[in-house]
Amino acid sequence: MTVSFDGVFAVAYLVPLFPAIAFVVVGLFGTRLRRLEWGGWVAVFFSGLAMVLSLVIALGEGLNPGKFTDQTYTWLSLPHSGTGAFPGGFSLVMGTLVDPISALMLVVVNVVGFLVMLYSIGYMHHDKGLPRYYAELSLFLTAMNGLVLSDNLLEFFLFWELVGVCSYFLIGFYYEKPSAASAAKEAFLVTRIGDVLFLLGIFIYFAVYATAGAAPGWAASGFLFTSNGHPFLGTLVGTNTPLLTVAGLMMLAGAAGKSAQFPLHVWLPDAMEGPTTVSALIHAATMVAAGVYLLAVTSLFLGFTPADQLAIVAIGGFTTLFAATMALVHRDIKRVIAYSTISQLGYMVLAVGAGFTMVGLFHLWTHAFFKALLFLAAGSVIHAVGTQDLFRMGGLGRKMRLTTIAFAVGGLSLAGIPPFAGFWSKDDVLGSVLSQTASHPLYWPFFLCALITVFLTAYYIFRAFFLAFSGAAPRDASLPEAHEPPWVMRLPLVVLSGLAIVAGLLVFIPGFPNLLPGANVPPTYGTADLFLSGLSTALGVGGIGVAYSLWGNGRVFALPESSPFQPVRRLWLRLYFMKDAYDWIGLRGVYTIARAADFVDRYVIDGTIHGVERTFAELSRRLRKIQTGVVSDYAAYVVAGLAAFLLLLIFVAPWFLHAWGV
Amino acid sequence: MTSLPLADLLGLSAALLGIGLFGILTRRNFILLLIAVEISMNAAILNFVIFSAFLSGDAGVNGQAAAVVLVGLAATEVAVGLAIVLALNRQRGSINVAEASSLKL
Repeated sequence: MTVSFDGVFAVAYLVPLFPAIAFVVVGLFGTRLRRLEWGGWVAVFFSGLAMVLSLVIALGEGLNPGKFTDQTYTWLSLPHSGTGAFPGGFSLVMGTLVDPISALMLVVVNVVGFLVMLYSIGYMHHDKGLPRYYAELSLFLTAMNGLVLSDNLLEFFLFWELVGVCSYFLIGFYYEKPSAASAAKEAFLVTRIGDVLFLLGIFIYFAVYATAGAAPGWAASGFLFTSNGHPFLGTLVGTNTPLLTVAGLMMLAGAAGKSAQFPLHVWLPDAMEGPTTVSALIHAATMVAAGVYLLAVTSLFLGFTPADQLAIVAIGGFTTLFAATMALVHRDIKRVIAYSTISQLGYMVLAVGAGFTMVGLFHLWTHAFFKALLFLAAGSVIHAVGTQDLFRMGGLGRKMRLTTIAFAVGGLSLAGIPPFAGFWSKDDVLGSVLSQTASHPLYWPFFLCALITVFLTAYYIFRAFFLAFSGAAPRDASLPEAHEPPWVMRLPLVVLSGLAIVAGLLVFIPGFPNLLPGANVPPTYGTADLFLSGLSTALGVGGIGVAYSLWGNGRVFALPESSPFQPVRRLWLRLYFMKDAYDWIGLRGVYTIARAADFVDRYVIDGTIHGVERTFAELSRRLRKIQTGVVSDYAAYVVAGLAAFLLLLIFVAPWFLHAWGV
Repeated sequence: MTSLPLADLLGLSAALLGIGLFGILTRRNFILLLIAVEISMNAAILNFVIFSAFLSGDAGVNGQAAAVVLVGLAATEVAVGLAIVLALNRQRGSINVAEASSLKL
């Protein structure tokens, strides 16, 4: 086909702009509307526009594989001077870079964003803070769209921080609740660790690439992603320097913060304090996707060194298993799904680390749909019964047929059962990592982590499924009568269910693996390594089977007190004591330093100042006493002074005169 | 005419000053205080006169002139001082200087 999409690519900046308009309108005027939902509909409308535009952009990219369109707007420009750090001149630019991966991400962000917004109309209808909610949600989408379309690292970082602050707002949406306020702070502070390291990474890349000299003219045209209109920088400069390894590790740290990878994962489960819809958005399309996307663009545009890759594979692989084990035992439905997100993000990081950027993004793509589906289905359950405790639910399948089907579809997709979307991407991840183990034996343990996790994933998600939906009636009889949600909530469930089934078929679009020139494309796409596919499917089915035998039909499996697994279970329930460890570090380490600083401030710095002040105050307090107001006393001082003067004159002055030889 | 030695005369002057200072430091009655001030001032005037008697020429005359000026000055000072005494007495019914301390900080 020869349809030109250049005009559409050129106006890609409208995608972040639409939600931005909604942010301004709803943020400023939302509370003045006669009905609070109207502000919500405004936000839904604008996110719908953004979704349509991103779908058109994605269509254009699909029809013109590998095409990139870089629109830049100069922000700050240093002229050509011939000397100094940038002899060729230097400019900071803002811009939109439309390429296959940003188009893919736009679809994820805006489709999920739109559906979540629509769903929120029903889910949040009772909430007084609705205008605030929709304004923040719109800003969140703006930030994420801006990040996806960024054409350089600096712009990326700006939107990255905007994403962070939006997540802070939304996690702390119920700010009257102390736990929500502290969860918001935790999310902000933990991701901040990654953010600072990410910024250091940018500095290193900037220093290396801007002064490497291997890319003449680069400095004048952008900030690290684009070079003379060509976005793929990885081939321009050799990547085998220790400094670049450090920079890559900094990028990994930034991604680990945002994408909740070990050891910066602690904020994500606590982020469940926000509304369930926000969890759906954060876990599927926005916040956590940003970290993986960062790794993806870094690996494509800048390149990782082999040491970096091993570190990324290690973090990703370990996190998959680590988070999945914690998901096994929790009884809060949202927390189970939250740990599942961390685990699935581990798969993406693993794939990107192994060099298969497109596979990682493919898993991000399918995961976005089935994870949003799971969260929205869980939200529908919470909306109906008013609790998040799985052990109090049960028997909801009879009352909420659509929600049950939706959760089952999401669960099957997450468990990697063919032909659901999750199967294709998870199989790709496993296959691609396995294909690298021959040349990188160190990848083996992390591949095995990922493989074991397939079984655990299927088990924990179906444990939640059976606990909530199977059986005859809720275990807690005091729960309100469950009912299906209104259509604004059902529609997103239906659409996402459809996507969770078919999204994996993206791999069969001809040319999809080759969308990115230069990207490391896996040799097999899902179907070739039938043994591995069969094994992972068997593991998934096995997990579901175990879950059914322990929890199915309303059974509740209680681990015997004498079981040798009790300590393990407690370890998982206490989250490997990592939160306790961080609290301990905070209390013992940071608090001690803070106390020392406080001591210095209070007693050394303030002490000096107050000491000087007190000395003079005391001196003047005493000296003031000679001012009696009585004439005779003053006369006495005069006489004393006179006497002293005479004594000086008679006894001391001659000595001086003599000494000076006068 | 045999004149007294200079040291004796200056000793007289110093004694007058001492008496005056003693009065200034010990008296609480404003009028006695004024008298003491006058005595010490007269010690100074006496000094002028003594030195003028021992010097010749212009210097001697200058000392006498200064003495006359100082006598006048002492008179005006007493006039001001007595006016203050009267005002103090009228306001407070007392001329004890120890009680007149309201100008202190």
